Amino acid sequence: MSLKDLLSPFYVWQRAFEKPYTSIRPIQERPGAAAYRGFHINISEQCIGCGTCHAICQNDAIDMVRVETFEGRNGDSGLRPRFDYGRCCWCALCVDMCPAGSLRMSNEYTWITSDPTEYHFTAGVEHTTWQENPLGYRRADGYHLYPPKRIEMDMLAADKSVQSFDEVVTGYSEEQAKLEADRCIECGICVATCPAHMDVPDYIRSIRDGNYEQGLQLMYRTNPFPATCGRICTRRCESVCPVGIQGEPIAIRWLKRFIVDQVAPQDYARILADPIGDSGRRIAVIGAGPGGLSAAYYLRKQGHAVTVFEAQETAGGMLRYGVPSYRLPDADLDKDINYIVSLGVDIRYNTRIGKDIGFDTLLQDFDAVFLSTGLSVPSSMRIHGEDHPRVLSGLQVLADVASGRDPGVGRKVAIIGGGNVAMDAARVARRFGADVTILYRRRIADMPADAEEIHEAQEEGCHIVTRSIPVEIIAADNPQQVSIKWGEAEMVQDPKGGRPRPVLQEDRMHVETYDSIVSAIGQGSDLDFLTKEVQEQLAIEWGKFTPGEYQHTQLQKVFVGGDVANRVADAISAIEDGHHAARGIERFLNPDAYTTTDEKGELT
Amino acid sequence: MNSVDEILDYAIDQEQQAADFYADLAGRAEKAGMKEILLDFSAEEERHKERLLAVKAGGYELTPEQEVLDLKISDYLVEIDANENISYQDALIVAMKRERAAFQLYSDMAEQVPEGHLKEVLDGLAREEAKHKLFFESEYDERVLQDN
Repeated sequence: MSLKDLLSPFYVWQRAFEKPYTSIRPIQERPGAAAYRGFHINISEQCIGCGTCHAICQNDAIDMVRVETFEGRNGDSGLRPRFDYGRCCWCALCVDMCPAGSLRMSNEYTWITSDPTEYHFTAGVEHTTWQENPLGYRRADGYHLYPPKRIEMDMLAADKSVQSFDEVVTGYSEEQAKLEADRCIECGICVATCPAHMDVPDYIRSIRDGNYEQGLQLMYRTNPFPATCGRICTRRCESVCPVGIQGEPIAIRWLKRFIVDQVAPQDYARILADPIGDSGRRIAVIGAGPGGLSAAYYLRKQGHAVTVFEAQETAGGMLRYGVPSYRLPDADLDKDINYIVSLGVDIRYNTRIGKDIGFDTLLQDFDAVFLSTGLSVPSSMRIHGEDHPRVLSGLQVLADVASGRDPGVGRKVAIIGGGNVAMDAARVARRFGADVTILYRRRIADMPADAEEIHEAQEEGCHIVTRSIPVEIIAADNPQQVSIKWGEAEMVQDPKGGRPRPVLQEDRMHVETYDSIVSAIGQGSDLDFLTKEVQEQLAIEWGKFTPGEYQHTQLQKVFVGGDVANRVADAISAIEDGHHAARGIERFLNPDAYTTTDEKGELT
Repeated sequence: MNSVDEILDYAIDQEQQAADFYADLAGRAEKAGMKEILLDFSAEEERHKERLLAVKAGGYELTPEQEVLDLKISDYLVEIDANENISYQDALIVAMKRERAAFQLYSDMAEQVPEGHLKEVLDGLAREEAKHKLFFESEYDERVLQDN
C-alpha cells in the first residue's frame, strides 16, 4: 500500500470546512403544485357528517367521530371525519365524493413531529396550519361521481290534469327507479330526519337489487302506510338529503311509491308474515286516521285485540277526506288500510265517542286507549259577514269531493289561505271548471303548503294574490254570489325577530265578487267528546295534547298522538306517533318485561 | 283626571280589572286548556299593572317615544262574547280588542291635553297599550293565522 492510499481517506475531511452543496431543509423551498393533493381541509360548518368520505375510502383511513359542537343540528349527524395519515394515500376520492363540498386538500405535504399520534386528526376541528390554505386539490365545478340531477317524474300535463281527478303523478318505470336508486349514497342522514325513522338506504338498495318484497318488509317495520306516504309524504328526508346540496335530492318518496306499486295487495300477508297472537288485552283507538291505524297495526302485531272507533263512514281521516284523489287515489290508501284491517283490527264506523259511546265506557272496557282524533274543525276568519251562505269551508269542499258530492263552488272562486288545504281546495275548484284566485296574506315563500303543491296549483291555472288580507265579506247583488273586501299588505320586520309580518295598508283596499269564497286558513281540534273532568286531568295547550314519553298522558290508560298532539300535523308524524304510542302501551301493559335503566326511571 | 298620578291610578285600576276579568273567565271556562290560557292572560295583565306601579313610584320609565308596530289585525275582526265556552281564537280576539280600546282611549286623552308632562304620560300609556296589543296580535298571527 502506497502512502497516498494510506492518507487519501483523510482528504475527505477538507470538505468538512467547505460550503455544503445540499440545503438543510430543501422541501420547505419546494411548495406543492397549486392543485396538489396534500393534507386535508374540512369546512366543518359546511360538513354534515354524512360519512360518505368514510364509506368510499379504500384504505379505511377515515373514521367518523362525534363532535359536540355539531350535535343536534337538523340534517347533520354530528360526526366529522378523522383522518389517519398512517393509512391515507391521498387519492382524493373522499374529496371527489363529498356531497356537501366541504372536503378539500391543501397543497401542504410536510408534517414533522415526534409524536406519531398527531397524524390521526379531525380536519376542520383540530387546529392545523393548512386549514385556511387557498391552494391544493378541489373537485372541479360540475364534476360529480354520481348524477346530480334526479330522474324526472312523468306527470299529467296541467291542461289534462284539471280535466279529471286522475292521479297527476304517473310513477317511475323500473328502469327509471333503478337509475334514481343508483344515485343514493347510502349515508342515512334521511333516517334520522324521517319522523318514522324509515330505513331509506336499505329499501332503496332493494330497488337496485330488484327485491321489492324485501323493500316492502323494510318499510312496514316503521310505517304501515307506505303506499300513502309514497305519494303525499312531506318528505323531510329529501330536505336533508346530502345529494341535494350540490344537486337534486334523491326522490325518496317516489322510490317508496315504486316499491309498493310493484307488490300486489294479495301478496302482502305472505311477504310481511305478521304474527298475530292473543295477549288477552283489549285496546281502544279513537280515530281511524294515519295515527290511529298506525297504532292499531303495531298493537295488533303484539297480539292485542284492537277496536278502532271512527265517526265517519270510512277510514283514513284527513288522508281520505282532506287529500283529493289526484294526489292520493282511494285505491292506494285502501291498499294500506285493508292490510291493517286484514290483521283483525276491528273498525266501528259511524261511531262518535262522547255521543254514541262515552269516553268513560272506553276507560272501563279497555286496557288502554289511544286517542288520535286529528284537527277537524275549520278555523273561522272572524271577519264581518263571514256567515254568508256562499262562504264555504275548505275542509268541507274537500270532504264533499271525497264523498262523491259536488261542492258547488261555482265558476269564479276565491280561496283564502296558503296551506295544503287551500291549495287542494283551489285545485279541486279548477277541476269543477272554476276560475280560481288564491288570496294569501304573506308571500309565496311563507306558504305552509308543499312547494310542489303550490307549483302545481299555479300550473293548473290558479292565480295567487300574495300579501292580500281579507277584512270583510259583503253580500253581493246576486244572492248566488258574494263579495270580499281585502286590503294589500306590506311585509314588516318584527323588531322581536322571526319572520316578517304582514301589515294591512288601509289605503289600498279592493272589493271583488265571486260565486263562492272558500276559507282555508287552518283547522283546530274538537275535544268536546271528553268530559270537563277528563279534560282537566289532561295537559292541553292551544287545543293540543302535550303528552309525555311514549305519548302517555296524565291519565293512566290514555295515550295520544297525531295532529291533535304534535305541532307538525303531517301524516308521517302521526304514523310515528301511533307507532310510538304502541310501544308505550306495550310497556304500560307489561312493565315487568322491561327494565328501568335510565336515570329518569323511564322504561327501556 | 287632571294629574299624572290620577291618570296612572286609573291605568293601574284598568289593568287590575283586566286581570280580574281573565281570572274570572278562567274560573268558568269549559273548553280544554282554556283555564291555563286565560290565567296566563291574567298574569300578563298583572305584569302590566306592576310595571305601571313601578312607573308611579318613579322606578321605571314608560315606553320611550318610538313607533310600535301596528299589525291592525284586531281592527277588522268581529266582537266576541266572552263566555264560558270561549275558544283560543276568541280569547285572543277579546284580548286584542281590549288592548286596542285602551290604546285608543289614552291616545284620545293625549290629544285633549296641552303639551306637557301629562300629555307625555298619556302618550306613554298609549304606547304601552300598543305594545300589549302587538303582543296579542303576534300571538294571533302565529297561532291562529298559521295557514293564512
